Amino acid sequence: MSWALHRIDDRLIHGQVLVAWGARLDPARIWVVDDGVAASAWERDLFREAAPGIEVRVASVAEAAAAHAEEASAPRAAFLLVRDLGTARKLADAGAHVEEWNVGGLHYAPGKEKVNDYVYLDDQDREDAKALLSAGARLIVQDVPASRPQPLGALDPALAP
Amino acid sequence: MSAPLAGEGGTPPAKRVPALIVTHADLAEALVRAAERVVGSIEDVTLLSNEGLSRDDLQDAIEGCVKDWKEGGLLLTDFWGGSCHTCGSAAARRHGEVVIVTGINLPLLLDYLHNRDRLSAPELAERLQQKGRDSIRVQRGVPA
Repeated sequence: MSWALHRIDDRLIHGQVLVAWGARLDPARIWVVDDGVAASAWERDLFREAAPGIEVRVASVAEAAAAHAEEASAPRAAFLLVRDLGTARKLADAGAHVEEWNVGGLHYAPGKEKVNDYVYLDDQDREDAKALLSAGARLIVQDVPASRPQPLGALDPALAP
Repeated sequence: MSAPLAGEGGTPPAKRVPALIVTHADLAEALVRAAERVVGSIEDVTLLSNEGLSRDDLQDAIEGCVKDWKEGGLLLTDFWGGSCHTCGSAAARRHGEVVIVTGINLPLLLDYLHNRDRLSAPELAERLQQKGRDSIRVQRGVPA
């Protein structure tokens, strides 16, 4: 199984990830890849305790990039979560090969434009998305397994191929 | 929302433990509406949904509700590991007396309402954990 889901979602570990994707893909391990969380003792503890029965590894971008290929050959399924497109881009730049990113939740903040109910982007997000797309990654918008997957470029004219 | 519930034995509440219920969609609102059908109107319970909120916004919203609790309170959320819980946990760490109970159900909420004027927040939390568990029972059908 190895990597079962690479997800971009500002909530990191939360209900959709644990209950909806978790029930479908049965991960043994969830990587929370975030330099800020990795640098904060209480935030590390918060996420490590968030998924009973699943091992949670909190890692910096550099640590996750270094371990990415090894996890790909692990016997059981793993999820990788980042909070934004910029972190996904940094992970790719650091050498992690990710063919497909699930875009699961980028919520409203000032300056961001609505793409759909759970994806809002600003200029920096679009720049990061373009960099990921031009490096060959697919960006697939889908909050839960039951909803229809759609390429980000099909929803946001600024990212249309 | 009218008069508060009477305390145990008709004594006026000394220190009522406040509660914030944070859930997905409008579950919190529906739970309180259901509880009001059982016990009448309910005061001093704040409701919040995570609908459409980023992690930071949800955490800020929760902190906005609990920051004025001078003597602690309860944060009741729907399930462990959901954003309502993890953002609540993050918000609560700056307010020491806030205790979180996940897995809220109607019997748990009713028990909170019946005991919030006589127990402290940590005592209530222990009691509600047990009450919520005990309230889940199975009764098998009898084949005809």
